[in-house]
Formats: sequence, C-alpha cells, structure tokens
Amino acid sequence: MKNKRNFTNLNVNPCKMCMPMGAAIAFKGIENAMMLLHGSQGCSTYIRRHMARHYNEPIDVASSSLSEKGTVYGGAANLKNGLKNVIRLYDPKIIGIATTCLAETIGENIDMIIREFIEEENLNDRHFVPVSTPGYGATQFEGYFQAVRKIIEYLTEETKPNNSINIIVPNITPAEVRFIKDVLKEYEVEYNLIPDFSETLDAPFAYSFSKIPPGGSSFSNIKRAAGARATVEISKLADKAVSPGEYLNDTYKVPLYRCSIPIGLQNNDEFLRILSEVTGREIPDRFAKERGRMLDAMIDSHKYNSEIRAAIFGEPESVYAASRMCLENGILPALISTGSKTSRLQSLLQKQEEMNNLHETPVIIDDTDFETIRELVKQLDVNLLIGHSDGKFITERDGIPLVRYGFPVNDRIGSQRIMFAGYEGSTRFLDLLTNTYLDRKYTTYRNRIYAKYAS
Amino acid sequence: MNDKDFSKEKIDNVIDKLLYSYPAKVSKNRKEHMLVRDCSQDKQQIKANTRTVPGIITNRGCCYAGCKGVVLGPLRDMVHIVHGPIGCSYYAWGTRRHKGKPKEGEQNYLPYSFSTDMQEKDIVFGGEKKLKQAIKEAVEIFNPKNIAICSTCPVGLIGDDINSVAAEAEKEYGITIFATSCEGYKGVSQSGGHHIANNALMKHVIGSNNDFVAPKYSINILGEYNIGGDEWEISRILSKIGYNIIARMTGNGTTEELRNAHKADLNLVQCHRSINYIAEMIEKKYGTPWLKVNFIGIEATVRTLRDMAKFFDDPEILSRTEEVIKEELEDIREDVEYYRGQCAGKTAFLFVGGSRAHHYQGLYKEIGIETVLAGYEFAHRDDYEGRHVIPDIQIDADNRNIEDLDVQKDPQNYRIVIPPQRREKLEQEIPLNNYAGMINEMKDGSVVIDDLNHYETEELIRILKPDVFGSGIKDKYIAQKMGIFSKQMHSYDYGGPYAGFKGAVNFARDIAMGIHTPTWSYLVPPWKKEPSLEGEVSYIPESVEQ
Repeated sequence: MKNKRNFTNLNVNPCKMCMPMGAAIAFKGIENAMMLLHGSQGCSTYIRRHMARHYNEPIDVASSSLSEKGTVYGGAANLKNGLKNVIRLYDPKIIGIATTCLAETIGENIDMIIREFIEEENLNDRHFVPVSTPGYGATQFEGYFQAVRKIIEYLTEETKPNNSINIIVPNITPAEVRFIKDVLKEYEVEYNLIPDFSETLDAPFAYSFSKIPPGGSSFSNIKRAAGARATVEISKLADKAVSPGEYLNDTYKVPLYRCSIPIGLQNNDEFLRILSEVTGREIPDRFAKERGRMLDAMIDSHKYNSEIRAAIFGEPESVYAASRMCLENGILPALISTGSKTSRLQSLLQKQEEMNNLHETPVIIDDTDFETIRELVKQLDVNLLIGHSDGKFITERDGIPLVRYGFPVNDRIGSQRIMFAGYEGSTRFLDLLTNTYLDRKYTTYRNRIYAKYAS
Repeated sequence: MNDKDFSKEKIDNVIDKLLYSYPAKVSKNRKEHMLVRDCSQDKQQIKANTRTVPGIITNRGCCYAGCKGVVLGPLRDMVHIVHGPIGCSYYAWGTRRHKGKPKEGEQNYLPYSFSTDMQEKDIVFGGEKKLKQAIKEAVEIFNPKNIAICSTCPVGLIGDDINSVAAEAEKEYGITIFATSCEGYKGVSQSGGHHIANNALMKHVIGSNNDFVAPKYSINILGEYNIGGDEWEISRILSKIGYNIIARMTGNGTTEELRNAHKADLNLVQCHRSINYIAEMIEKKYGTPWLKVNFIGIEATVRTLRDMAKFFDDPEILSRTEEVIKEELEDIREDVEYYRGQCAGKTAFLFVGGSRAHHYQGLYKEIGIETVLAGYEFAHRDDYEGRHVIPDIQIDADNRNIEDLDVQKDPQNYRIVIPPQRREKLEQEIPLNNYAGMINEMKDGSVVIDDLNHYETEELIRILKPDVFGSGIKDKYIAQKMGIFSKQMHSYDYGGPYAGFKGAVNFARDIAMGIHTPTWSYLVPPWKKEPSLEGEVSYIPESVEQ
C-alpha cells in the first residue's frame, strides 16, 4: 500500500470538497425544501456557484450571513432572521439547516435555536431538519449521506407497515435517478425514492420559473419510508453511522439491502436481483435484452480494453462502481483513488474475484489529492483517466485523456444528463472508455511502433 | 403595461412593489440600496457596503474570496496556502478565469490549490504546527520564492497565530512568506478581503526592490485580473504605443514584478473597488499618482489612452497614441457596425462585482444596447457616487474590523512625478486620483440596485424583461429559465477577451450571437401560442424581517 498522499500536511489539488456541499445536493432532492447554511455567506455562494456549473440550473442555498459580531455573540439572531426571510420569500415546507466550519467552531447549538424559533414563531406547519456538517468533519460524500439520514430521522416516525419499498440514491446524475425510477416502474412497485433530484436539478424549460423547482421526494413518501417493506440503499460505501438505510433498519426494522450504483454488468445484475427479491417479481424481460446487448458490446471491445491502464478517482461510491466495471472488462484499474477517508473501498474490492487474477495489483488509496494521483499515474503508466473534471489537471499536463464521470463535471455541457446507469448506460460508458483510449492509440501508435521496430 | 415601457412612473411602481413585499424594517433597509436615476438631482445617495440581510439569497461572497480568490490568487509565482479545512481551497481553485502565462524559467502555481486540509483534531488542538509543516513541505517540493497564507473561518476563531508562523518561516527559508487573516466572516462581503490583500501586498511586496531602474513611460496596471485574457489585449495596445508595463495587479502578474511597482511613473486603476487602497498607499508612500482608466468599450479605451498621453505629455507618446487609435479603430469599425445593427434597440441588466456594472455600460451603448438596471455586488458608496463622498461615508463596526494601513512617505524613494501646478491642472482634465462613480453616467430613469438578491432578480427580470441579463453563473440560470439571454460578466461564459479594441468586437459578436440564437424562437411550443410569462409580481410575501 502506497502512502495516501505525497505530503502529510499539505493537500495539493484536492480530490474532495466539504460536507455542506453534499448536504446541499441532498436537500435539492426533497419536495418544497430549501437549505440554509449557518455560517459565512461565502459557503453558500461557493456551493451555489459550483453546483450551478455542474447542473446548469439555478441553485438556491440561503445563508445566515454570519459576520464578526455573530462569531462573538453567537449566531442565533442571524439564523432566526434568515429562516424567517427564507420562509416569507420562498415558502418552503421543509427547511434544512446545515452547519459550516464557523458555526461548529463557535459551538452553535442549532437544535436548540431551531426549537426556540419554532416556539417563538408558532410554526407547526413546517419541518426543520438540522444537519451537522462541519467542513473539517469529512467530505461531500459523507455530508450527502448525513443529510439524507437526518431528513429521514427528522421526518419519519413509527408507522403502519405498507407495501412500498425505499430506494436511497447516492450522488449520481439526475438522468440516472430518472433511469432508476424507470426501472421501478417496470417492477410496478410503489416506492419512496430519497432524495429525488431528477427534476429539481435538471428541470425542463417551461417558460415559467418557480422559486422552488417542482419535484423531489414528497413529505408523505418520506414518512411512509418507516413502514416500508424494505430499503434498497444504492451505496455500499457509506459508513453505517451516516447510512439512511441502517437508520431505518435500526429504528423501524425495515430490512436493508445495499448495492452499488448500477454501473457495470455485475452491479446491474445485483441491483435487479435485489429488486426482484424485495418485490417478489421476476426481472422484467426488457433487461434480459439489454443485458445481452451489453455482453455483446463487452465482447466487441475486450481486445482493446485489455490495453487500457486506468486511473479512477472521485467519490468512493462512483469509484467503486467504475472499478468493478473496469475489472469485469479486463481494463486494469491501475490506480483506484478517492479523496474521502474510507477503508471500505479497499476491503470491498478485495472481495472482487478478478482482483486475484490480475498480473498487477491495483494501487488503492483513500484520503488522497491530485498531486499524488498525478505522480502515481506517471509511475503506473496509466493511459486513461476516469473521474470528475478536476482530473483535467493531469490531462492538461501529461496528455492522458479523461473520461468525465462523477461529481463535479463542470467543464463540459450536459453533466446533469450523463447517464451511465443500467445495462444500456453502462454500455455507453464502456464504449466511451474504449473509444477514448482508441482515439489516443490511433493518433500515436504508428509513430510508436515505428520508433520501436523500424528505427 | 408595455414591456418596454421604462418610464419613470413604471419604474417607481416596480420598485414600490418590490419593497412592498418586505416588512417595514427590511423594506427601509433595501430601499436605501436602490435608486432611480434622476439627472435633475445634483446628488443621489445610495447605501452600500453594509451587512447582507440573512436568508435573502445574496450573490456576495466572503472575505476569503476577496483576498485569496480575487486579489492574491492571480499572482502566478506565489504559492497560496489556504489554512483551513478543505472546502474553501477547493472552491477557489481555478474558479475565476484569471489567466496567466509564465515567461521562460518563471514559476507558475496558477494550476495549483494548496490547503492545510484541517481536520477536527486541528480545530481542537490548533493548526499552527500543521501550517508550519505545510510550509516546509511546500518549500521542499515546489521551491517557491513567495508564499502567501490565507486563513479561513475557523483559523481566526481557534486563535492560530499565522502571522508569527509566517514570520518565522520567512526567516528560516529566506523567501517572502506572509499571512493574511481573511476569515470568511470578516467585513460584509469580499470587499473586506480586497482591502486585507492590498494591505499585505503593500507591507510585504511592493517597493521591496530598490535596485530596479524603470524605463521611460513606465506604468503599472492595477485592478485588472486578466479574465479571459483582458490584460493581454490591454498590454498589447499599451505596448504598441510605447508604454512599459512594470507590474500587473494582479492578473497575469508576478510577485517579483510587484517589488518594482513603486518605480513606475503612473498607476492605472481599472477596478476601483478592489485595488484603490494600493493606488492610494503607493501615492502616499512613493508619490506615484494614479489614473482611473477604463479599457472596456471603444470610446472608453480611446479616452483612457488620451488621458494617459495627456499625463505623460510627450510628443512621441501623443502622436503614437493617435496613430494607434486610428489604426485600431479602422481595424474594428466594420465588425462593430455589423453587430450594432444586430443589437440596436435592446436593453440590458448589469449586475456585477465592483466595476464591471459601470464599465460595460459604455460598451453596451456602442452596440446599441441600453442598460436599464445596474448594480454592484460589493461596492462602496464611492463606486456609485464618486470619490468625493468618501469623507461622508459612515464607518461601521464591520468596516472598522478591516485594518486601514497607515503608510508614511518613504524618504529614499518618494518622488514628485509631476509638479504640483501641472498636477492641479491635470486633475481638471483627466480622472487623476479620482473616480466619478457609476451613477453619473447613467441615464434618467435607469435603476441602480446595490447587492441585488435572488428574489429581486427574479421579480425585476419578470417585470422589466431585459434582452440581455449580464451577471454571474449563480443567477444565469434564473434568467435562462425565463427565456432571457444571459451573459456571464464574471467569467465571460469562458470566452473573451472583452477589453480593448479587439475585445470589444469579441463582446459584440458574443452578445449578437446570444440575442439571435435560433433557440429562442422555439421556446413557445407550436400548440401553445400564448406565452404564460406575466408582467406582474406574481407572489407577494406578507413580510420579511431583517
């Protein structure tokens, strides 16, 4: 195992963001909800800016705009006034209040402030979800799940069992969430998909603009989750402490199934198998055909794929899914890396059978940065990068092509529409990997071969 | 009500409606941040640079954004270590398009983001040790000549003494290392961060090389950040005339050239808000006057070049200036006329940082577009009303927390560049050490709004329906969802340059393209001929509290 980072105290070109960013994405998936960040206004502004560039959508994240005075005397007044204004101007039914480095460092008790606020204002028709997301606590990956879990914790209570199933989605694209909803439709099952940002973060042009975009998991669906038949959590990497499915299981005994993002053949097989198990329905015919086409594609491209030496980076969940897909296609994931801290990535991948048959052991690192990734990319002779846009730092310097995947993809159009889920989406993803590699191979190989053999 | 009716009655009505939505306290507050231009009045006052109303979605950033993101960040040869948890460093990594091209052998850290990546234990036990080590690592691997440390929110709260860490490291490694306490919560916007960065550059960098001998016609460009290559176009024109650019602050600039900045004869100030402090301090310490310039727009560029020539008052410069102007104008005339034909009669909103909302009005006008609403995100009253109001500006607690660096005349290096008598005369003719502000150039009936928020943006677009909405990425998609062409005025939608002569053509082309893209004609589906966009405030909340 290599060192996680070249430097212990200096993070050079981060491969991660902060917790509130993840929380902001999660709250965009709740119907009629808004998030307010308790801290300096810069936190909201930066997060809005980065999300707008990825999703190409208006992003509303309010701020309590704490100033120096607030840091000395506490930020309760700012938080309460901020909430009042958000309610009056935007009229959300659910308000997420996420903390920042500042609020956490001065020790703000937001639970108490919110309780006071509800009492003072006599607000019983709105729901408040406080989430602790200090920027130094973890990364956007944990912040996302922490927020989803808190939404469920605050909005559910013991309820009568019902026939629905819960689907917890990770930070994938709105198009991929729409795909998952399509699959559920095929199974003809009632479901509670949380959080559902398929419409809010990829809203169709409608010539009208509503302050809070329509869509998102409804309050009643979230409530119903406590009595659901099962939870399918599309995350194998989220820690138990932040896993919404674990909470539903611990508190309401809702059976929990965890699977990876349905990207890659095995991940799709697993996803469909779980859905069949929890719904008691056969895998719909449509998928058998799609699986067949994916296999056909895998056979078509395997000769080229075996030449690919990939470096994969991003959030643990997306890295795991892509690594698995590479492995099943004979693409060597020479470097598997994430900026988040996780031991699960390593342990899960080690269970993967193909790992035992590799002629070269992949380097798997967590808590890393792009300076380290770049160095390993050079050492390991990587010829394809798979990950979010920040990988362009390596492409620009060393000319290794990047297939954009994960969050954020902010230097290309259409990130909200990237759809690599399902057998069809995975096939498209695989073709893109192969073709990106071929593009490079065909522009350089004549020279390389000539240099090697003829000169 | 007619869409394009911008009569004073309609505008007043619009503002009243907007304010009506707020409760008394906020309404009163916001009212002071708005005005309708009335040219018959001698003075019109606006409130600016005060605290943001919490919960109202502002476009303002934080102190750190102004210090690291705006002023210090563009210096190519400086390692910027962000001391704090990871987010702030990530979010300011390459996000502002300040371009830079290193010369042969120069260090270039623009593609990098350096952070101490503080964890919970560092917040509890303090981060000084980590910072010390991080500096050591940066020195060992990157071997920079200059390091700046920018702190984020928690650092000030836990009391890390970053200044002494920097001072010790500076001694130990024999390179320039300084720290800026630009915690996000300081001040009321990024403006406080500009001031802090200005102070730091003045204290630690500017004037630190006294061996430098400036050539003739030497100038510094201040407050130009080379977004989309603006500085390259400006420098092209200035070099063509024969000026020698000593230092660029800070777009495409280096710390090393800043060391010589005190030797130039004139400071050009493009963005007044972010850098006027340095211009003032250099003047006080070294005697170099500053000139308010504007390289956005053809007329503005011509005027600026003539103002500069007047300042130097040298036959060679004077004649070369006119030659270059003639040549450049000839070069772009046909293109500009073509695009003007495409844009004439359109209206625009301009809501940008601290200068562009003013600068771009002239360029819009030159292509036939009228600016009906303009506002700054983080400006002060002097940016709106002109520098003469500075003595009347109330200093509140938030501003008092940002240090006003007191500089003294440098007895060795102070010089009188132009004799007082000529200077007095020049001040009558050109904006020497003066900025007249944005409002003066605005048309009767146009709206000026400070710190325009999300709610006001939506309502004003809905009612005034501009053809072009010029702002940033955070509100770009609001306008686009309403079917209105939106132009990013911070990052230029990844285009540019827009400054100078050639830039004006780029801008005109991009605006014409945006207005006339065929897409707009498909917005209403054929089965639904009537657009549903209403010209009224659609939702009036009962009250909002400050």
